[in-house]
Amino acid sequence: MATLDKAYKEIEGIIGSKYITEKDFMKAAYSRNVDPAFPDRWADMIVRPVSSEEVSEIVKIANKFKIPMVPRGGGADLVGGSVTQGGILLDLTRMNNILQINEENFYCEVEAGITWGALVSRLHDKGLTTGVLGPGSGFSATIGGGLSNSTAGFGSTKYGVVPDICLGIEVVLPNPQGTIIRTGAAANKYAEPFCRYGVAPDFTGLFMGDVGTMGIKTKAFLKLFPVTPFKAQRYYILNKNDYNKVYELLHRLRAEVRDGLHDVLVVPLITMQLLASLVENKPNKRPRLKGPIFSILVEAMDERILDVYLEQVENIMKEDAREFEMQEVDLDATLSRDWKFNLKYAYNYFNKYISVAPPKISCTTCHKVPISAIPDVAEKSNQFDIKYKSEFPLGSISLFATVIFLMPNGNCVIVGGFNADNIDEQRETSMKMWHKKLRLQVRYGGVHYWLGEAISQSIVEADAYTPEFIQFFKNMKKAVDPNFLLSPNKFHMYNYEDDIFSHIVREE
Amino acid sequence: MVEMTSKEKFKHLDKIGPMILQCISCGDCREATDYSSDPPKSGVCVSRDHTSGFEPFFGRGKMQIIRSLWQGKLELSKDLAEVIYQCPTCNACSEACAYDMDNATIYEALRAELVDAGCGLEAHIPMNKAMVDLLNPYQRDNKEKNNWIQELDFKVKKAPEDKADLLYFAGCTAALTPEIKAIAISTAKVLHKLGVDFAVFGDQEVCCGSVAKRTGDLNAFKSVLLKNHELFKKSGIKKIITGCAGCYRTLKTDYKDYLEDLNIEIFHTIEFLDNFIKDHETILKNLEITTTYHDPCHTGRNAGFSPLYEEPRRLLSQISTLVEMDTIKESAKCCGAGGGVKKGFPELALEIAKSRIMEAEETKAKYIVSICPFCYRNLFDAIKELDSRLEMIDLMELIYQSLI
Repeated sequence: MATLDKAYKEIEGIIGSKYITEKDFMKAAYSRNVDPAFPDRWADMIVRPVSSEEVSEIVKIANKFKIPMVPRGGGADLVGGSVTQGGILLDLTRMNNILQINEENFYCEVEAGITWGALVSRLHDKGLTTGVLGPGSGFSATIGGGLSNSTAGFGSTKYGVVPDICLGIEVVLPNPQGTIIRTGAAANKYAEPFCRYGVAPDFTGLFMGDVGTMGIKTKAFLKLFPVTPFKAQRYYILNKNDYNKVYELLHRLRAEVRDGLHDVLVVPLITMQLLASLVENKPNKRPRLKGPIFSILVEAMDERILDVYLEQVENIMKEDAREFEMQEVDLDATLSRDWKFNLKYAYNYFNKYISVAPPKISCTTCHKVPISAIPDVAEKSNQFDIKYKSEFPLGSISLFATVIFLMPNGNCVIVGGFNADNIDEQRETSMKMWHKKLRLQVRYGGVHYWLGEAISQSIVEADAYTPEFIQFFKNMKKAVDPNFLLSPNKFHMYNYEDDIFSHIVREE
Repeated sequence: MVEMTSKEKFKHLDKIGPMILQCISCGDCREATDYSSDPPKSGVCVSRDHTSGFEPFFGRGKMQIIRSLWQGKLELSKDLAEVIYQCPTCNACSEACAYDMDNATIYEALRAELVDAGCGLEAHIPMNKAMVDLLNPYQRDNKEKNNWIQELDFKVKKAPEDKADLLYFAGCTAALTPEIKAIAISTAKVLHKLGVDFAVFGDQEVCCGSVAKRTGDLNAFKSVLLKNHELFKKSGIKKIITGCAGCYRTLKTDYKDYLEDLNIEIFHTIEFLDNFIKDHETILKNLEITTTYHDPCHTGRNAGFSPLYEEPRRLLSQISTLVEMDTIKESAKCCGAGGGVKKGFPELALEIAKSRIMEAEETKAKYIVSICPFCYRNLFDAIKELDSRLEMIDLMELIYQSLI
């Protein structure tokens, strides 16, 4: 009996025949995520475990037969993070229970396969929230995926990225023993998972943003916050297309409105013009759009405080911008004063940006930069797009940013990329330009987050890591994954002996 | 040998056009749960919820399979059919889709490909054959469609011999299922009591072909469609009303292009009555009961741009205290019977229905009401299986009681 067949039988003995498959059409169904350029990849088998213990047993079998494994949450990933050519694909979405909502101490314990939409909806019934609501694909994306990608999302201006609300995890290490550990306060076997730091070094951090390379997250302990009852949204359009002014205004908003800011997004002029052109119900006369649009969402526990925040925002913005309504370009848009939060705003909003014209999908280049770097980054990005105009895939539109998203302290996410068709004829061109643009961003000091395969490899290619760092990384991985089985290919790491520096691209 | 292109090989999918390859795989069709939507969404795919839940059991996986077929990486097979047919084509996935894809239409095309390739579900073959040979999918003598008429204490017109502008199309399930014939009987009695001039086909009534369309047997569908066209033409009818959600959707949307020359209007009986009662200011007696309402997919998500969400609720609110379930209207959970699931996978259909009944029990209502004999049948089976205190009833039966 071949190795794979033996492994299949053993795993089947653990999780039952219903939750393991090697049928071709099943492999096809799992062969891609929201991938703009990767070829379809077929796993050797797909499993749907229901518990940490089952995951642990699968890991032991994978180690016994030396079969690679890739964990998969909601499968909403764009960067080749949770597909595998061969090996075992672990679909973790059966692990979707809420184990505890601790209202007294503001934390919860959930299985990592629950979606953000499901968790946030349950919490809302109790007047609670996770603050940051996970990625823009939160109807589908799981908590585990959000942690593995250190993702930002709705609420990030105030509450930070997803790992910032994480108090610890339960994780199955990919070692031959399939070791299960808990981190954060839960590392103390007598303690509840109510805080992250103090018991030991912050081993939770080892698994945050690891793109599934260090362990298989099965449970997460998350901070909770009371739902803030009063929210208001305002739009402003800048009088001119000036990114120095964008930086100045973001700085003042952060300095003066502080915690009142829930989300601040800047839509560049070109993006707004593009969106306006796609609107179905256009007004007869549209104002000339002169600069980027600020979308500012403030929140407060008291309506009077909310008014103060709005007044502060108005004072900051009034000299360089005027109040704007989306109705000026889209008659179906809601007026700011009638705006009410709903999850579709947080989730479908991003979907539309990822694929404005399906099936074209964004070769995403979302990355963080300090806000003071925005003018320089905009310039460099535009120069790159002009220089390599002819090398982008056919019909592709490359934007410096679809949105600039203010994060805590003084950093922001430049949400952007260029769109491409995932077809054989375009794949090589798309992949080449994608990596090239990512390397540019790494070299001007950009920090990416959902790394998957495309971005983690580009960071290596840009020569960002020191040899000491890479050795440390390999040592850490070897400690948890001695047989190098979990999520290979990321960071151009194919085994422990391979020299990843051979992948550096120096000619640029 | 000349190799066929995908366009030649998959002509049913090709007819749909570029939409078959437009899914970006975001996965919102898996289980979008949203407290903030109106009505709230609590999950999406009932098929995924009650099976092993691998990707092909919900929208994204099916779309990816279609992509792989189109790219020549995968072949149609009986194994594939086993999964593709475990979907009631309720189109909740379409409702969740940020890009407004019409998933059910694509699934039906995929099923048509499976049938053409000889990979259709064995369980559906006798059903669709009976539809062509016996004019009903239940493999029964079509003469039995007269049985419910014989229980009426008044005479009804029999089209096409007797002429009337309005035809009541009972549908095979209501006409041939002893436990459900009360729907047809109540409908006729209500129409009679309201003084509406109408006719029925009785044993000449031909199945609308819904199950053939949903299961991909387009030859069987076309066969009954042509027979119906002939019959409608011969009858000279101007308006058809039907109490079956499946017949309603099929006649209204799938027959649309074929009935253009006859200029016939199609209504669900509830839609017709809602209008009639408003126009004639008919008083309905409040029956002093509590009810909850189950939206059939065929009159809801699958009814195109004119779903019947408000009409049944307006009537129910007049005759009872209506207590809504958690998932309603476009977010309503499917009963699990449609798309050939009841015939092909009766245990799965029953499991899905049991979930819906448990959701209905939360309302503490006495009756669960619907306007589809097929939902009636599956939910009724679930009530029995669960030994639930709920009672299944069709809205038309309640309207009849409220007119006495």
